[in-house]
Amino acid sequence: MAALDDARTELVAALGADAVLHDPLALRLYARDASMVEGSAGLVVFVRSAEDVVVCMRVAARHDLPVVPRGSGTGLAGGATPIADAIVVVTAKMDRILEVRPEDRLAWVEPGVFNLDLADALRPTGFTYAPDPSSQQVSSIGGNVNTNAGGPHCLAYGVTSAHVLAVDVVLPDGSVGRFGAEAPAAPGYDLRGFVVGSEGTLGIVTAACVRLTPLPPAVRTMLLDFAEVEDCAQTVSAIIARGVVPAALEMMDRGIVRAVEDFAHAGYPTDAAAVLLVEVDGLPAAVDAQTREVEAAAREHLVGTIRVAADDTERALLWKGRKSAFGAIARIAPHYHLHDCVVPRKALADILAGVYAIAQRHDLIVTNVFHAGDGNLHPLFSFDRSVPGTLERVLAASDELVRLCVDAGGSLSGEHGIGLEKRDFMPLVFTADDLDAQACLRAAFDPDGRMNPRKVLPDGARCGDYAAAALGRDGALPEGTWI
Amino acid sequence: MDLIHPHSKRDVMDALRGASAADTRVLIVGGRQHIDKGNPSEADAELWTTLLDDRIAYDPAEMLCVVEAGMRVHDLRTMLAEGGQEWPVDGPDDATVGGVIAAGVTTVRQLRVGTMRDTIVEMEVVTGDGRLVKSGARTVKNVTGYDVHRLLTGSLGTLGTIVQIALKVRPLPKTARTLVINEGGLELGRRVLDAVPLPSAVLAEPDRLVVRLEGWPEEVEEQAAAARSIAAFGETEAPFPEACFPDATTVAEAAVVPSRLAQLLAGIDRYRAIMGVGVAWVPFEDEGALTKLRARAAELGGIAPAIRGPGGLGDAPIPAPEVERRIRAAMDPAGILAPGRTWST
Repeated sequence: MAALDDARTELVAALGADAVLHDPLALRLYARDASMVEGSAGLVVFVRSAEDVVVCMRVAARHDLPVVPRGSGTGLAGGATPIADAIVVVTAKMDRILEVRPEDRLAWVEPGVFNLDLADALRPTGFTYAPDPSSQQVSSIGGNVNTNAGGPHCLAYGVTSAHVLAVDVVLPDGSVGRFGAEAPAAPGYDLRGFVVGSEGTLGIVTAACVRLTPLPPAVRTMLLDFAEVEDCAQTVSAIIARGVVPAALEMMDRGIVRAVEDFAHAGYPTDAAAVLLVEVDGLPAAVDAQTREVEAAAREHLVGTIRVAADDTERALLWKGRKSAFGAIARIAPHYHLHDCVVPRKALADILAGVYAIAQRHDLIVTNVFHAGDGNLHPLFSFDRSVPGTLERVLAASDELVRLCVDAGGSLSGEHGIGLEKRDFMPLVFTADDLDAQACLRAAFDPDGRMNPRKVLPDGARCGDYAAAALGRDGALPEGTWI
Repeated sequence: MDLIHPHSKRDVMDALRGASAADTRVLIVGGRQHIDKGNPSEADAELWTTLLDDRIAYDPAEMLCVVEAGMRVHDLRTMLAEGGQEWPVDGPDDATVGGVIAAGVTTVRQLRVGTMRDTIVEMEVVTGDGRLVKSGARTVKNVTGYDVHRLLTGSLGTLGTIVQIALKVRPLPKTARTLVINEGGLELGRRVLDAVPLPSAVLAEPDRLVVRLEGWPEEVEEQAAAARSIAAFGETEAPFPEACFPDATTVAEAAVVPSRLAQLLAGIDRYRAIMGVGVAWVPFEDEGALTKLRARAAELGGIAPAIRGPGGLGDAPIPAPEVERRIRAAMDPAGILAPGRTWST
């Protein structure tokens, strides 16, 4: 491809040879993210500054090449999987915390900063960055912003969009803009809010101004176990009905508890059908009051034991059990497919029953660990891809699962995003007019359709004259894409 | 001035399709409580949303409610109180929910309850040319497609008519108390903010400080004690928040980072500032005072639109005018919705 070769020459001249990879191994490595989908990368560019990103965008524009932004590559929906030999722009080396200003309750960070590193760096100031996706040790703020990432503590504190005050963005034509502001209001439309969660399809975020949240004066973590999954699920609604919004409300079923316990040795009860990990925080008096309400709600629903973490060590251990779940399941089978549906909270018990039935019908192992308070399920199918026919069964089961959640009034994704994996399910929840409007608004940022093409919206979504350009970028959809 | 007073979403679609075809400029009106916000804009017709006031769904267990956009804030508050919950947005009773959202109203208690824009999880909007467009979902958490509702929030009726919204609501606080003291200013406010953990609001005026505390009774007791260790606060039963300078015909809402409030307000003898947030309301008598406030806000990296009376938004530069122009063209191709009213057009 002459265009790609010319682009490489220009990028090497501008950024140096070590910033531009195109050897077969690198192209293979960057052809996928943490989803099941593999695409094809044309070039891989490591940027170190906003200026580098501008260079990438201008070169790509000059040669009419698609661009795919990538953070840590932990995305589960194929959002960072390149299609059609795109230029993959990796922001991982932009990893500085630029400024921390407790007096203004904000910090400026580059996109490559790991989520947990930011929270750790803020702790001495008495503040934290609240969103805490389970991938927080390795996922970066840039990726978090683009997927509007959630996490266990988003029940009380809200998802990423509530914690991003402004973003510096390089648009596909190489122009730059600061969307949002440090101040509590900004002129113009809320482009910040539109960019957060846009899955890298509007531009590349080169810095984020994040909101600092005061660390709560007191925290209490409890582990509740139940002999019946249904009682566990109903306890979730019962807690909310008492006017308590815990900081976190996480549910794990027996399969996942056993895998975790073998791995983390957190003392989780392996004979329970399901457990709830509940955390309340606030002033000490509020923590006591909320604990009483949680315990009362659980007793109404036949809780077994209630284990209250006695100190920070035990608290950390209970969380280790929860947060190591996705590492632990490697003990069940070599591959997994993780889902991310959201349903009304009261539908949880029925949906879980449905999940087990689907798994049984397709002869698959399913485990569940999820943000119950948000109604955000994460059914996880474990399997061995090398066994013929298995992948097909997983995909068939996944299809049924998505439809089950949508039929219950739910949505396609709570925090992982649509990417490639779910884009063709979009018509299940949106009309053609909805999707066309979304396509037009996307094109407002990217009129030539070069930013992370063919992600989020199904191919049918049109935007009048804008559509033609975007539709030209076919390339075969990669294997494993659900269509 | 023509009046359009639709009974249904279908009526809104028909009316706007017709208006686009006839090039009729339309001002969308809810409860007329925030109508002053925005730059001067001439209209041929007003579209009133007030008959679109149905409750669509409300289940307290989901902490979500779905209402039509013309519902009054007072009616929403009453409906949610029956479920022991609130929409944590302090709009005036007569405002409509859609109006509060389109005007981008500031949440006074945002230190504790977050901002209004983060409570909107699903929206239905009728575009300038009469298409019904939905975004978001009726779940507390969602990353499915583009958040069109984010653009509509604060768009001052220039991108479409908001006709229905799903809102994230929260339990009413078990207790709420308002502490007040007739001395004050920003310095005392800052010390209270440092001393009192997790207050809902600390409002500073030149000679008065108001501290709003909400939560479990024992918790609020502890917070009140912390506040009283700083100054001899009394207590008031008056509704919170009280009306903002009801005697003033003109009020600006300035926004800067919290640490620059003192610079913004130096020498100004009437203001009310939200400590820790960086919003300050300032009544002004003449255009000169407003211009001066705006210039100072701009130097400090902020803005100061008028929210009551004439004065408009000011001329702060927007970051991506071409993008905004295309957004507007996508949502209102004929350009009939309050042309000129917002920053970009």
